[in-house]
Amino acid sequence: MNARGKCWKFGDNIPTDQIVRSDRVLLSLEEMAKYVLENLNPSFPREVKKGDILVAGKHFGQSSGRAVAPKAIKATGVGAVVVEYAARLFYRNCFEIGLPLLECPGITENVSDGDIINVDITKGLIRNETTGKEFQAKSVDPFLTEMLEAGGLIPLGEKISEGI
Amino acid sequence: MNLVEKILARASGREKVAPGEVVVANVDSLILHDLSGYITSRVFEKEVKRKMRYPERVAMVFDHHFSPPNEERARILEENRAFARRHGIHLFDCGSGNIHNVAVRNGFVRPGTIVVGSDSHTPVHGTLGCFAVGLGNNSNAGTVMPFGKAWFKVPETIQVKISGQNKPGVCARDVALWLTGQIGEGGVVYKAMQFTGPYIKELEVWDRWLFPLITIDVGGKCSFIEPDEKTVNFVKGITDEPFEVITSDPDCEFADVWEYDASGLEPQVAASPTLGNVKPVGEFAGAPVQWAELGGHGGGRLEDIRQAAYILRGRKIAPGVKFNLVPSSREVFTEACREGLVQLLHEAGCTWFPPSTGSNQAINMGAMAETEAMVSTHARNFPGRNGSPKAMMYLGSASTVAASAVKGCIADPREFTV
Repeated sequence: MNARGKCWKFGDNIPTDQIVRSDRVLLSLEEMAKYVLENLNPSFPREVKKGDILVAGKHFGQSSGRAVAPKAIKATGVGAVVVEYAARLFYRNCFEIGLPLLECPGITENVSDGDIINVDITKGLIRNETTGKEFQAKSVDPFLTEMLEAGGLIPLGEKISEGI
Repeated sequence: MNLVEKILARASGREKVAPGEVVVANVDSLILHDLSGYITSRVFEKEVKRKMRYPERVAMVFDHHFSPPNEERARILEENRAFARRHGIHLFDCGSGNIHNVAVRNGFVRPGTIVVGSDSHTPVHGTLGCFAVGLGNNSNAGTVMPFGKAWFKVPETIQVKISGQNKPGVCARDVALWLTGQIGEGGVVYKAMQFTGPYIKELEVWDRWLFPLITIDVGGKCSFIEPDEKTVNFVKGITDEPFEVITSDPDCEFADVWEYDASGLEPQVAASPTLGNVKPVGEFAGAPVQWAELGGHGGGRLEDIRQAAYILRGRKIAPGVKFNLVPSSREVFTEACREGLVQLLHEAGCTWFPPSTGSNQAINMGAMAETEAMVSTHARNFPGRNGSPKAMMYLGSASTVAASAVKGCIADPREFTV
């Protein structure tokens, strides 16, 4: 699995409340996508293109465990999310809904808004094409990789319930 | 093995488990609220399309709406009711109380069990010696509802030992808020915490509950307190359902041990934008507030109402301040009536609201304009959760909330209690 696109960079400790405001959680995903991270960067939901890479800092996606937060990011067309580290529920939700997520300590110092980033999701390899630098993300449990490749948890529900 | 590892081993049919392993375990209770429950029910019926395996283990509590504010929300609650009827799950309608309090008071939380929910504060139930975690909607709809199971990664556990005694005017919520700052946002990502030590053992169950409550906001997966006589008596006072107490092996190992002394602590306040911004009350004293509230996932307990009444006895709240009281359950309101606190606080100028989660996310109360500020017992202070992203939210103990309501600005409760 691969994703390549423009880098959109965000800060540390961003709660799901800022990814999708609580008064928008009942909108359709298509509608919700128009407001993702609206307060932190109003251009993001307007200008994000399919395949773009969302980069963020520490404890990304903290607070409410709403799975609509990663679902809405996925609905914007973002090809992969790369963070210093993610909040636990956000991490779980990304794999369960099929949004590629990599944790790569140090990434935020090495990319800027607008850089072209190429992500090999399976290998966890992140290449900043603008600067030529490469980074290796933390490894992912094979069980979660399988889930991501299946498109999320629901297609695997019965298999999971029979034991891993 | 520790308590969490033992519970996960038993529920997954294994002799033992170790941190890092992924297991599939039987779930004892699934707790949903009116918003997460709605989203989960859509995923279950539209994408999963299976039968509810154990409807008796599923509870939906309407706590974000004590009454629908508009037609759209009325429709959502009606759809939730129809979903509950179709699948035979338990429903606690508007006015029942906060999701987690209602779950405890109706016997969905018993020592030794696995409790899951889509509310991120679900780990609070580790207070009673459970393995309790928040899961996303897809796990709840995709494996818990149709199969009664969920996947879990066995977490590493940090032992958090608290000792010391609070000075007068300082209480368990101050210690919990302070600890949030000490551990830090993201301080225990993916990990479990065992809260222990003489300070925790001395506390009654509803005060102990304030510690596992902080789990999510320091990034943890779950927390637990070893069940003791207080725990067992508390649960037996609520439910006749049998349960098996599970405790950690005395020689179990922890990934780390962190020790804290609560002795010298001042009352604490956490101001927006995050919980990590927690400081002694003096640092914020004098900041004006127009709103005060006892409510939220950790607020609206009888203990909170008693603290506020202690300060407001014979006093009035400041002109321009609105002080909203939100009991966490109907049982709490009954007891507050019995103790005369309802009348006392009403006459002090407070306003009683129906049992619920209060202004959490400002769904049916608690929205603020950008110039306004609130002091509350809520669990969160992120910008935009209560109306304008510019509005301020200060979190503190019920005593600090009441003292601030009397002065019209953030105030040290010891002015009134000591």
